[in-house]
Amino acid sequence: METVPPVPSGSRLRKIAWHWRYDEKRELWIGWWTLVVFYNLYGLLFFVIARTQPPPEPSLPPSEIAQWFADHHYGLLYGYALVFIVGGATAIMNATLAYTMRRMSVSRAFAYSYLLIYALATLPGMLIMGVVCTVGAMRPDRDPELLSWLYDFAFLSFEGTMGVFLIGSLVWMLAVLLDENRVFPKWFGYLNLCNALTEVVVAPAWIFKRGVFAWDGEIAWWINMAVFVTYTAVFLTLIRNLILREDFGTGPLPDLESDRAIDAITLGTAR
Amino acid sequence: MRQADGEVILLWTLPVVSLIWLSAFLLFPGFVRPMSPTMSAEEVAAFYRDPANLPRIRYSMIVFNWFAVGFVPILALIVLQIRRMAHRTPIFSYAILACAAGGPTIFLMANLFWLLAAFRPMRDPQQTQMFNDLAWVTFSSQVGFLIAQSVILALAIYLDRQKRPVFRPWVAHFNLVVAVLLVPAAFVGLAMDGPFAWDGLLSFWLRNVTIGLWIVVMGVVLGRVILQQRAEDEAAAA
Repeated sequence: METVPPVPSGSRLRKIAWHWRYDEKRELWIGWWTLVVFYNLYGLLFFVIARTQPPPEPSLPPSEIAQWFADHHYGLLYGYALVFIVGGATAIMNATLAYTMRRMSVSRAFAYSYLLIYALATLPGMLIMGVVCTVGAMRPDRDPELLSWLYDFAFLSFEGTMGVFLIGSLVWMLAVLLDENRVFPKWFGYLNLCNALTEVVVAPAWIFKRGVFAWDGEIAWWINMAVFVTYTAVFLTLIRNLILREDFGTGPLPDLESDRAIDAITLGTAR
Repeated sequence: MRQADGEVILLWTLPVVSLIWLSAFLLFPGFVRPMSPTMSAEEVAAFYRDPANLPRIRYSMIVFNWFAVGFVPILALIVLQIRRMAHRTPIFSYAILACAAGGPTIFLMANLFWLLAAFRPMRDPQQTQMFNDLAWVTFSSQVGFLIAQSVILALAIYLDRQKRPVFRPWVAHFNLVVAVLLVPAAFVGLAMDGPFAWDGLLSFWLRNVTIGLWIVVMGVVLGRVILQQRAEDEAAAA
């Protein structure tokens, strides 16, 4: 066994080098940082560069859809090119989420189902929209009727792909509720249910072109986005805690030192 | 029949599938001299309507449809090697499994668009052009899972800290270079001609030659590891 030097103080680069060399949890940290960086990056690409989120109205006539493609020309082309380069990062992100279930006391079937479902989800849930928007933006002089079909294809594949996220969240929920290794608090199981329900209320986007249920509506988009952002922020925090507590055993995870200290103060006892 | 023998059989599907892919690639008239994005809707429609092209388009794409997932067993063999590495978690093997599912599905989508364009070549030329655009953009721009696959494999190799690592470090370096060479193809929507266009030097030739090179190099590296393992298992059993 080689001796492990203490974490160097000073430059961030030297700290990263230390973790790369000695940190037993580096694989988990690579997964976690990929989650943090890429969720932010996808947010930036979809909201700021491609500007396809928040989504435009489904009820536009073909001539205005052609105008929408013209207005978003470079944003769509550059934004989605960047999405295509980094889109594969979802593989390691989903692998990290699947690992949380692997660490639970539940069957491996949960981790495997989640991994499979989300590996599949990347395509209709994100990449198809990019391909179709790129094709739409490439030829601004295309027949507006065809542009209108591409527009529907892009936004409905992105928002109308529901089942993969619905079943995926339910698998995670069930795993959290059944787990005896205390990987996540039980309330996170119910938060998964909230996320799953957003995929139910988005279904009318396939039917309505105007109003709260349309793909740009207050319910189908705004409430769902608020739930999704909360859900993501919560599980990023919880996974960070999981990594800090990880002991690479198979039994219940230990508490964080800081949590123990808080318990000792609030309960007046040291465990 | 030992487990390793089955793996060797799967390994030998690699040259067979490669040969089939190469034949289908040469059979498709749109690849030999890659179609230009500057072709007008009428020219694209004429390409699909040409009686010399149409059967070749259909037959080559049917072959691609059969064998698009043909490399999945090879990726599964790579996953098995990653599981032999000195890691603390299965995150890298899970991630390669996720890539193995994503990559071929994308290629199948491009394949469907080409087959759709060829199914009714007498359609309005604008529609044929749209299917042709969808096929080419899906085919060219979707390098994400291939990039991720190479980067994850490289990370897994770098972190395989044991006396005799499964793959040598150069395999990781090679995979990182491959990942970089695939990046330009993602920008295919931005250019109608020149190196970034879908028939261009970077998006077509560099990308496809890189993928071919990855298959050959990883096939040889993987083959050596699997055969060596089998020999060691036999020596241990004797």
